[in-house]
Amino acid sequence: MSSSSIEAHIALIGNPNSGKTTLFNALTGQNQKVGNYAGATVSRKSGQFFTPHGHQFEVIDLPGCYSLSPNSPDEEVTRDFLLGDQEGETPPDLILCVLDATQLERHLQLLLQVIDLGYSVVVALNKIDSAEAQGLRIDPTSLSEDFAVPFVPLSALNERGIVQLKQALRFPFPSAPGRLWKGPAELEESIELSTKVAEEEGLPKPEAHGIQRIACPEDADTEAEQFIVKTRTEFIQRAVEAGLQRPDGSAQDFTDKIDAHALHPIKGWFLFSGIMFAVFWTIFEFASIPMDWIDGAFGSLGEWVTSKMNEGDFQSLIVDGVIAGVGGVLIFLPQIVLLFLFISLLESSGYMARAAYLMDRVMSRVGLSGKSFLPLLSGYACAIPGVMATRTISNAKERLTTILILPWTSCSARLPVYVMLIPFLVTGSLSQTAIMFGIYAVGTITALLAAKFLKPRLGATEPPQFLLELPPYQKPQWRHVFHQVRERAFSFVKKAGTLILGISILLWFLGTYPKSDSDDPVVQQENSAMGRAGKLIEPIVSPLGWDARMGTAMLTSFAAREVFVSSLAVSYSADSDEPESVRETVTNAKRPDGSPLFTPLVALSLLAFFIYALQCLPTTAVVKRETGSWKWALGQLGGMTAFAYLAALAVYQIGKLIGYS
Amino acid sequence: MSNLALHLERDSALTLSQASTGCDFQIRAVDGPACRQLRDIGFCEQMRVRKLTNGRNMLCTVCGTRLALSKDLADQIQVIPA
Repeated sequence: MSSSSIEAHIALIGNPNSGKTTLFNALTGQNQKVGNYAGATVSRKSGQFFTPHGHQFEVIDLPGCYSLSPNSPDEEVTRDFLLGDQEGETPPDLILCVLDATQLERHLQLLLQVIDLGYSVVVALNKIDSAEAQGLRIDPTSLSEDFAVPFVPLSALNERGIVQLKQALRFPFPSAPGRLWKGPAELEESIELSTKVAEEEGLPKPEAHGIQRIACPEDADTEAEQFIVKTRTEFIQRAVEAGLQRPDGSAQDFTDKIDAHALHPIKGWFLFSGIMFAVFWTIFEFASIPMDWIDGAFGSLGEWVTSKMNEGDFQSLIVDGVIAGVGGVLIFLPQIVLLFLFISLLESSGYMARAAYLMDRVMSRVGLSGKSFLPLLSGYACAIPGVMATRTISNAKERLTTILILPWTSCSARLPVYVMLIPFLVTGSLSQTAIMFGIYAVGTITALLAAKFLKPRLGATEPPQFLLELPPYQKPQWRHVFHQVRERAFSFVKKAGTLILGISILLWFLGTYPKSDSDDPVVQQENSAMGRAGKLIEPIVSPLGWDARMGTAMLTSFAAREVFVSSLAVSYSADSDEPESVRETVTNAKRPDGSPLFTPLVALSLLAFFIYALQCLPTTAVVKRETGSWKWALGQLGGMTAFAYLAALAVYQIGKLIGYS
Repeated sequence: MSNLALHLERDSALTLSQASTGCDFQIRAVDGPACRQLRDIGFCEQMRVRKLTNGRNMLCTVCGTRLALSKDLADQIQVIPA
């Protein structure tokens, strides 16, 4: 037997927020993203581990689900996987069912459903330390006897009990316990019949399909379904009578005390606004220190390279193309790190669900529910995980609406552009923070209004329903928070080193060749390929107050928004002889008549464009995948670009009319 | 159970949205278009529930878990005082 071959497949299944991903990470040594709210895992992930007996297993982390009757697309993934209906997947050999020990009665429902499907099961009784701290007394032996499967108490977070769990996963696996309850003869007959039908249809795991079709029929709430739910609940109640003792529940715990304020209709909103403002203020105030270092470092690097190299095209490529382009984007690393740090902290501490609860009142005004808030807030970091997180929204129309408006929540890729433009409007960190806050508010409000406009037009009539679990507050899992931030920062740096480097070099070539005979840099730039392209689109962008080079920079930013900043840095650096930072370069840029190019009004018009434009092809690709049609993805791209253009046009023209420059 | 007893029990049943806050209840029936979704998250017949707040979205705990649900969902849950 080769030790490198996988001997069996184990699927991790459990309620949302029961700690599946934490357990997955503890088992496999991986570092998947962990959140303290329902729906952190939206697609399956797999990893491998060895048991103490030397067996190698593959473990698959499935999205959390409350039951096998799916209410949302992510729950469907789990059900189809267990029934063997998921294309290209074989049903697992064993189910590792993760139960939250503090919420045992609720989570046992899922366990019973999995056992009914005819799988071998091992139960990971997670969060046992929290349960002990709450005064719960759990008897795993008694539960193991009642459910005929091993219960292993553990704490995935503190990696307690992981070895015992691995030991419990003995290979070959014990046989499946099979259904633990019996119905009246009539029900048993119909289950048998339904199994036979599934067998004749050639479905994988016919006995699982058989029971699933009766217990969870297409037309909800049949008599059989009601009977099965009741029987399962009674079974669980008998089992927990012997296996679980709860303390007298009258004492207010820590979470209750915080929630009394955090969910209060008035105090809660003050707290929410305070937290949000503090987040944005910190991003502005504290990030400026490391940003100045990075800016200075790239400036000195440029000077040093200039002094060490002979003047010529190659020097210009390195200084004006590579250093200016990559430096212009890397400077925003501190702010992106801080934004992701705060979002991870809010998720990890459990506050995110409270924010969703508060926001439900606002969201319902536009026909969405608080559940749409979680994806929308993730959208502030990046639209892609935001679009993926909409899978937890059970109503299909509400989900589509959320996906369509989501890119209007300002993602972190826009941050570099905002940060570069805001100083043209106001000075002083407090007023800059206020403007930044305003930008996010404008994007968000437009997104919500768009939802109000879109949802009824998509054919949605039913009012949104809100049903959300509020997890207990917990100390942030620093290890996971830092890992997530590190990963994001790393991918940003990688992007700067690959895509943005490539585009910077390309832009430099386009901005330098073909060469003209003139020594005048302005004539030279007009003669270059970029100058010519700029001239072509100038009639389109000049009503927005932009010059040809801004137009070209905007075109390049459709590859990725951050590229806009480096494009500007590269194309305006030809104007000056001295290597300097992006802000200086752009501030010094002049129109042909000598007036400064970046006036507050032009900056405002650019801001309006960037708030609304969907300049991110990866988002369009993900929207296509999630909605299953190019119609929505391309319609969104076209619609948002057109809206952005009109917004920038309105800002510039109205601004000019009222005499703001 | 005799008919009379059944009647008496029905009379004392309330929906979760009518129930008063701070009290413990037992779920008698879950009935309505969202009943499956409600059962899945833990509002099963026989389960004990404590209502914490009233309002458009109410808060309650079921077996130690805090859940928020909208009024139209709470209307579909019938409870009796525990």
